[in-house]
Amino acid sequence: MSFVDILIGIFDGFGVTASVTLWGMAYAVPFALVFGILQHFTTGPVRFAVTSIIEFWRSSPVIVLLFVFYYTLPTIGITLSGITVAAMALGLNIGGYGSQAVRAALQSLDPGQVEAGKALGLRRIQILMLIELPQAFKAMTPTFINQFIQLIKGTALVSLITLTDMTFRAKEISQLQYDPVGTYTALLVAYFIVCYPATIFGRWVEKRVAISERTQGEI
Amino acid sequence: MQVDALIGSRCASQRSEAAVDIVSLNKWYGTFHVLRDVDLRVEPGQQIVICGPSGSGKSTLIRCINQLERHQRGQIFIHGCEVSPKTRALHELRRDVGMVFQHFNLFPHLTVLQNCTLALRRARGIARQEAEDVARHYLERVRIPEQMGKYPSQLSGGQQQRVAIARALCMRPKVMLFDEPTSALDPEMINEVLDVMIELARDGMTMLCVTHEMGFARKVADSIVFMDGGRIVEQAPPLEFFANPQNERTRTFLGQIL
Repeated sequence: MSFVDILIGIFDGFGVTASVTLWGMAYAVPFALVFGILQHFTTGPVRFAVTSIIEFWRSSPVIVLLFVFYYTLPTIGITLSGITVAAMALGLNIGGYGSQAVRAALQSLDPGQVEAGKALGLRRIQILMLIELPQAFKAMTPTFINQFIQLIKGTALVSLITLTDMTFRAKEISQLQYDPVGTYTALLVAYFIVCYPATIFGRWVEKRVAISERTQGEI
Repeated sequence: MQVDALIGSRCASQRSEAAVDIVSLNKWYGTFHVLRDVDLRVEPGQQIVICGPSGSGKSTLIRCINQLERHQRGQIFIHGCEVSPKTRALHELRRDVGMVFQHFNLFPHLTVLQNCTLALRRARGIARQEAEDVARHYLERVRIPEQMGKYPSQLSGGQQQRVAIARALCMRPKVMLFDEPTSALDPEMINEVLDVMIELARDGMTMLCVTHEMGFARKVADSIVFMDGGRIVEQAPPLEFFANPQNERTRTFLGQIL
């Protein structure tokens, strides 16, 4: 089996890697937004509860989350598909980090922005949607793209709950071919091929954000 | 509809016809007593200038009027409606009270035109076309119609502050509050902002201005309020205030800034 054949064999698992990543984002982005905003606005016991949920997802090792949800939930009668468990565990873990970017972006805004919105007679929710979030998104975007790349790489773990992703395929091939060196090198190349475009896209977005800030700074 | 009825009923017990009526207002920041028994009455169409050393509570006072700061004791009425930390539809009351900030606080992600139409459309529910007409009218009044498509950071400080004035005027407020509107400006830009404010005063807008621009105060103020240590120490028409200040602290203050 040539290097290219191995690579093609590994890419059989691309579908699973991609769907875990995309479903993972479907969990991560809403979680990050909702919990980041809640952490920004709440105080006292509610804030403690919000922080606890964020910290649970953020501070647990993903591999442990995967095992817990994949192997123990069925014992209490909840059976979820491998993809669902993988997307949830990886997505909410990344979402936990993302929520901190959301909160930090909201907190770093000039309080005068909210005051101006209030003075104009806007409701608090309108101030959030029309004034705070549009400005915070700009600050959040680079972090979100980095976490998207983290998520792609994180999906390698799902091979441990029997999903046939790129890593799982590599294990299969290496066992069939007795060529761990060639196979895992090919696997590295495979992840590079998937992640590098995302990195380039991230750099492009970061530059765009920087440029729009610079031109706005000119008088 | 229901909210209107609510406000109607609350304002039915109209205490006075004053535009703004402040009655023995007290406020603390923790243990620090910022406002001590402040009484101030502003009739419709009057212009009041509030001055005093820094830390005297003048900004806090006008920020209490639209409840950007909450007071703990005393009452504030705007055209007979009480505003307090308990007021339910605070956002509705604030639509009638324009505010101009020291640091402009324009929305950097919106164009000048969008800055002016945002609240008209979202708070007053006015259609886009009509809102833009209103915005154009007021941008012309502050003499920057040609900057409509630009972002705030592309404007000079003086231009930004004039946009901020236009943004507040678009809501057609009954009262305008100015919180040191020229303090953050380079000296050569102060006059372009003051000129707009003078015109506004001549048109009969009810205004409360915290400012150290005594030339402006002399020109437009019906009454000058001097604050020190959270109290109104002296209040008098400009002629009297400058010619014959009664209080020792007023004299010292005027001696320092004039």
